[in-house]
Amino acid sequence: MKYVTANCGAVAVGLAFGPIVPEFVSANPGLIDYVEIPFEQLRHSPESGSIQETVPVILHCASMSVAGFVPPDDGTLKAIEREAERTKTPWIGEHLAFITAEPIEDDHTQPTSLTYTVCPQMSEETVERVATNVASLQRHFKMPLILENSPQYFDVPGSSLSMVDFVSAVVERCQVGLLLDLTHFLISMLNTKKDPLSEIDRLPLEKVVEVHISGLNVQSGIAWDDHAVPAPAVVFDLFERVMARARPKAVTLEYNWSPQFPQSTLMKHLDRVHEIVRN
Amino acid sequence: MIASRVHAIVAAGLENPELIARWKQEPESLRAYGVDPAAFDLDAIWKFAGLTAKVKHNGLRFDLPLTFRFLSLNGLEIEVFGAYAAHKARAGTRYTATTEGRIIELVDFLRDWLDFDKPEHSLLWDLIRHETALAQLRKRTPSAQRARAPHIVGEIILHEMTCDPRVLGRLLRRKSFDPDKVQRRTVHLCYWNPGDPEELRILELDELGYHLLSLVDGKRSIADFNRLLGGKSRISKKLMGAFGELARVGVISLG
Repeated sequence: MKYVTANCGAVAVGLAFGPIVPEFVSANPGLIDYVEIPFEQLRHSPESGSIQETVPVILHCASMSVAGFVPPDDGTLKAIEREAERTKTPWIGEHLAFITAEPIEDDHTQPTSLTYTVCPQMSEETVERVATNVASLQRHFKMPLILENSPQYFDVPGSSLSMVDFVSAVVERCQVGLLLDLTHFLISMLNTKKDPLSEIDRLPLEKVVEVHISGLNVQSGIAWDDHAVPAPAVVFDLFERVMARARPKAVTLEYNWSPQFPQSTLMKHLDRVHEIVRN
Repeated sequence: MIASRVHAIVAAGLENPELIARWKQEPESLRAYGVDPAAFDLDAIWKFAGLTAKVKHNGLRFDLPLTFRFLSLNGLEIEVFGAYAAHKARAGTRYTATTEGRIIELVDFLRDWLDFDKPEHSLLWDLIRHETALAQLRKRTPSAQRARAPHIVGEIILHEMTCDPRVLGRLLRRKSFDPDKVQRRTVHLCYWNPGDPEELRILELDELGYHLLSLVDGKRSIADFNRLLGGKSRISKKLMGAFGELARVGVISLG
């Protein structure tokens, strides 16, 4: 098994686990430093963990509902704990979002569990809730939790903070590292009609531990996350902006939705990331 | 507005987009949950349900790469999967676990949902049936059939298309795609697995050949076909010629 090792300030470059990754890793040994793999993938398809025989793994997660009001069940938490120990991940990236919510009808006893994380209400109330949740969850893990900004597709009712203010407040209140998904960030800015290049400077970039880069797609009047298409040039502009002020430990290209994602584009984007990181 | 209530409503709507449709018709019903209906962008939440449904179908991209590319390039993913998620919620059914099952369910949904007067919808219908036929035949090894009457050699799937999906596929693989450049014409295609999935073929047929193949069942004789097509006692040269041509290609055996 291979494990992520501390690398004297160098920025590691990796890929999110997906259909093209095992073959790509085998065909290009040493080109990437790690593969980021979702806990949920390991839970439902444990065989995918064998990628760690070839390349170190960083654990990602979408099950803890950090910004929600329904905690994950013990079984899920224990399973995340086991995977974190087994993979020796240097940190666990979790979405600053909810995936489970209370039932709407009082007579329902089961919470509503989704398969996709959702941007929470961005308010002081949620910031406090995230702080409580992170403190409680962090006790389960030896490695730090870091939080990933959500894409904002619509105004979440009751929100009193902008995305930048919400993320900043959470990072300050919880003293956690940030997994800055630049595409989520761009999507949020496009959907709320804000200037991404000026807004990004207001983020606590010194807290960025990891960066995510993927594609997006504008459909039906809304910008959407899309890991099947290449990131637009502006995402790399944002990345340069981040690198001018911060030194993340890792950068992950998330091209993990399509088995047909062109290898030539992947190579080009890896080169681009390496170039920005070097400069 | 209390965050937990807001989350509960958004989650319920995403899990069951039919609820969103109801709330759109009767926004005041949301007040029962202690929230202001005007604060909820129900259209956007409905579309988000489409994104989540789309992501759940990523596994289909192996078999339907061009269909997904077409949906993406034409900005149809959210609309199609939003409608599909609502349809599943209305029916009260979950997505089938297997990729094959999901493809069949999606095709069944599209058959009823697509508006074939819209060119991009009919192109999508051509493309998904094309890729589905290839995917299905690729996974099968048909056993040899013996019959005295004309019968299919291997297994076939027949589709009448509004364009040649092979040409559409080539156009989609280019850097830019213009749906107006797709030549529209009726094309009768026979997807044919002659017995080995490695040897799949696509035959373009004339109308008679297409209809004959759709009726070949290993039971009807050529004389039966002649009667079925309104022929007299003598079998027409045209019919014999059509059967002869299909047999020459190898897709049928005359028995």
